[in-house]
Amino acid sequence: MRNILAVADIVIKELYRRKDFYVLFIVTILICLVMASVNIFNNPDIIRYVKSLCLLLIWVSSLVIAITTTARQIPAEREQRTLLPLLAKPLSRSQLIVGKFLGCWIACGLALLCFYAFFGALSASREHHWPVLSYLQAGLMHWVALAVVIALTLLGSLVFAAPSSNATICFVIVGGILFVGRYLDVVALSLQKPWQTIIYAVYFVIPHLEFFDMRKLIIHDWPLIQWRFIGLASLYGVAYAAFFLAAACLVFRRKAVN
Amino acid sequence: MNAILKTEKLRVEFKNRETRQAAKVALLGLDLQVNGGEVFGFLGPNGAGKTTTINVLLGFVQPTSGTASLFGINVGQPIARQRIGYLPEMTYYYKFLTAEELLRFYSKIFGLPGPEAERRIDGVLKLVELESSRKRLIKTYSKGMQQRVGLAQALINNPDLLILDEPTSGLDPLGRMKVREIIQRLKTEGKTVFFSSHELGEVETICDRVAIIHQGELKAVGPVNEIMGRRASLEKAFLDIVGYQPQPTP
Amino acid sequence: MNPARTLFLSLVALLVFCFGFAAWLQPQFQDLPFNRSVSMDFWGNLLDDSRDLFANSAFVTADEYYHSGYYPTIFDNNQAFETPHMAEDTGAVASRNSGDETGFMGKPRDWIDAFGRHFIPNRHTHLDEGGPTDDLSTSSEVKEILPWLKLSAELDPEDVKTFVVTAFWLRTRLDETRQAEQVLREGLRYNPGNPQLLFELGRVYFESYHNIPRARMIWEAALRMWHAEAPDKLLSERLNLANQNFDDRFIYEQLQVHLANLEQAAGNYPAAIARWELARPASPTPDDVDRHIADLKQKLSAAKDKSAT
Repeated sequence: MRNILAVADIVIKELYRRKDFYVLFIVTILICLVMASVNIFNNPDIIRYVKSLCLLLIWVSSLVIAITTTARQIPAEREQRTLLPLLAKPLSRSQLIVGKFLGCWIACGLALLCFYAFFGALSASREHHWPVLSYLQAGLMHWVALAVVIALTLLGSLVFAAPSSNATICFVIVGGILFVGRYLDVVALSLQKPWQTIIYAVYFVIPHLEFFDMRKLIIHDWPLIQWRFIGLASLYGVAYAAFFLAAACLVFRRKAVN
Repeated sequence: MNAILKTEKLRVEFKNRETRQAAKVALLGLDLQVNGGEVFGFLGPNGAGKTTTINVLLGFVQPTSGTASLFGINVGQPIARQRIGYLPEMTYYYKFLTAEELLRFYSKIFGLPGPEAERRIDGVLKLVELESSRKRLIKTYSKGMQQRVGLAQALINNPDLLILDEPTSGLDPLGRMKVREIIQRLKTEGKTVFFSSHELGEVETICDRVAIIHQGELKAVGPVNEIMGRRASLEKAFLDIVGYQPQPTP
Repeated sequence: MNPARTLFLSLVALLVFCFGFAAWLQPQFQDLPFNRSVSMDFWGNLLDDSRDLFANSAFVTADEYYHSGYYPTIFDNNQAFETPHMAEDTGAVASRNSGDETGFMGKPRDWIDAFGRHFIPNRHTHLDEGGPTDDLSTSSEVKEILPWLKLSAELDPEDVKTFVVTAFWLRTRLDETRQAEQVLREGLRYNPGNPQLLFELGRVYFESYHNIPRARMIWEAALRMWHAEAPDKLLSERLNLANQNFDDRFIYEQLQVHLANLEQAAGNYPAAIARWELARPASPTPDDVDRHIADLKQKLSAAKDKSAT
């Protein structure tokens, strides 16, 4: 665990010393503030459209941070040959993978914390109430979704040589799941065999990231979800993340690093 | 003699990705033994298999057959690398870290307790003369300074075995001298140093024993004077052993 | 001549020529028929022909907000949402919904669908009726649909129902009668004499300002404009139930009914009956209209008897 945390610590340092997060955070704040300043029939309490935009930007930013940060981890270590002195230490390859995952996940969690704090402040400024537990549920689910995305990207970074191609493929997969993952079975029904069977199988195999997207619930102030459903969904996400991580460890186990 | 580093019938084949057939045989049953407290030079022309051997010893490359061990532990286990230090031929360290942070990171991996780690960091930074630049980001370092950071990280755990892959390549004469001094110093402290180099003069000066490898095969191994025999220099002996035929000048 | 001076003078000459040419071109450009700077606004330049599509999308988003996110996607059965409730509830458009709105999701298809429904809005609610909280005191939350309606109106100012719906919610739930009136007048600026907008403006005067003569005047003007919209078309043809333009028939019926109610309130039963009879062919429930007319005729004869005694 000590080694994993040491690796994770370096990844976190890397994220907060790079400019990516700050740029995305500032852009999100600026866009939201500009949108919030629009005069809608002299009614200063209208907020849901700003909440909607803010959450969209938070999701996009978090996916950009998670995928780009993770995609470059192992390839950059190989390219800059920092992997050699690192693996020459008593650090197993699995520990390195798990450490990288943990670092990216914690770093994304910290970024999410900043984003959601801004979101909370923005909505509280007009709604005059702060449903902290709802935001906590949404943030937690968002973070679990990022665990799956990060693990998937980490696996991709060991399969695809170039970080850019890996990042693009991961964006397409994650975006595809978020947009149509829930309806793949409906899409399958309109197809002929064997595509119908294939799409139907994909529907059951993919991680359903849309479970973790609670934007509509917090935009429209829906009541809290029962915590047992949050727990079950988190377990579901953790299981997928663990599966992708295990696959990544397996791929990296016998891979030549020189 | 206690063997600290040992390989037996070590064979490494690199396969063609498409055909999965052996495209190149890098090592052909290498038998090597390095004893405690000696400075061991590992010589060979380019492509002879020196770096491949080091890569196997560090677990970067899986051998096709044969075994390799450090301190009697199979190199496949991370614990085998607990008591070694390694300096690669060319490496760039995390540019977003300072030298101090980098060494603290590595000392965590070695499990050094906090105060002990800080003491070691101070010691190695003093040794490689980077004390004044310890809080600067590595991306601002010159090439020589980066090589010295490399040396510092290789020494952070006070290793019993130091594996150096061409440690003086690309360094200016002063830098080379500094590395040579450090190796001599480690030798006097009873440490084992295993290093590959093309600087045969340097090897002749500081090594107790050398091994010469050519096309994946061990051609000679023994004390420097034994290898040299009646030849004037180690360079002459090396050229003879690898079968170098000088072209007649027209 | 000094080469540097030649170069300098050439540059000055070129600069003068460029400014002169630009100054000559500008007025000519203004007169061109395809000059976007005069014929289109910001959205027009940005979105070109797709602005109607985006306008409709913003309008649908407003309805989605009205349902607090409970809304079908293109993959769901969205036939139940033919007419946005947000517009239907304002009386601005005729309903074409089947009544299956509450169950558009159907039964869960499998465990993934069933589990996923815990994380999305899964109950049919309306913002003006308390939304997900079912708390009627929060009915002013309907204000949240306004940004999308504003955007929709800016994108497609020729779509009158957007102005009507916006004005209705501003007036009825947010007590912003002046704003509502302004919205309708803005709509009339883009769609002069539009009967639907005039009808809604009449409602503003009748229901909010209680200015009955002004309301009557506006509604009568709206009826005239309605007739003038298709002077060549037979009235029976426009009012035929087979007419697919529901809203055309609907607005005619609404105008006649509202005018009839005004006459009835003034005790002018013959005029009220006449209005109801005009409304009848356009009504989706003519039997109700007949009952109403019979009721009025009874009242009329009772009034006559009373005056005779």
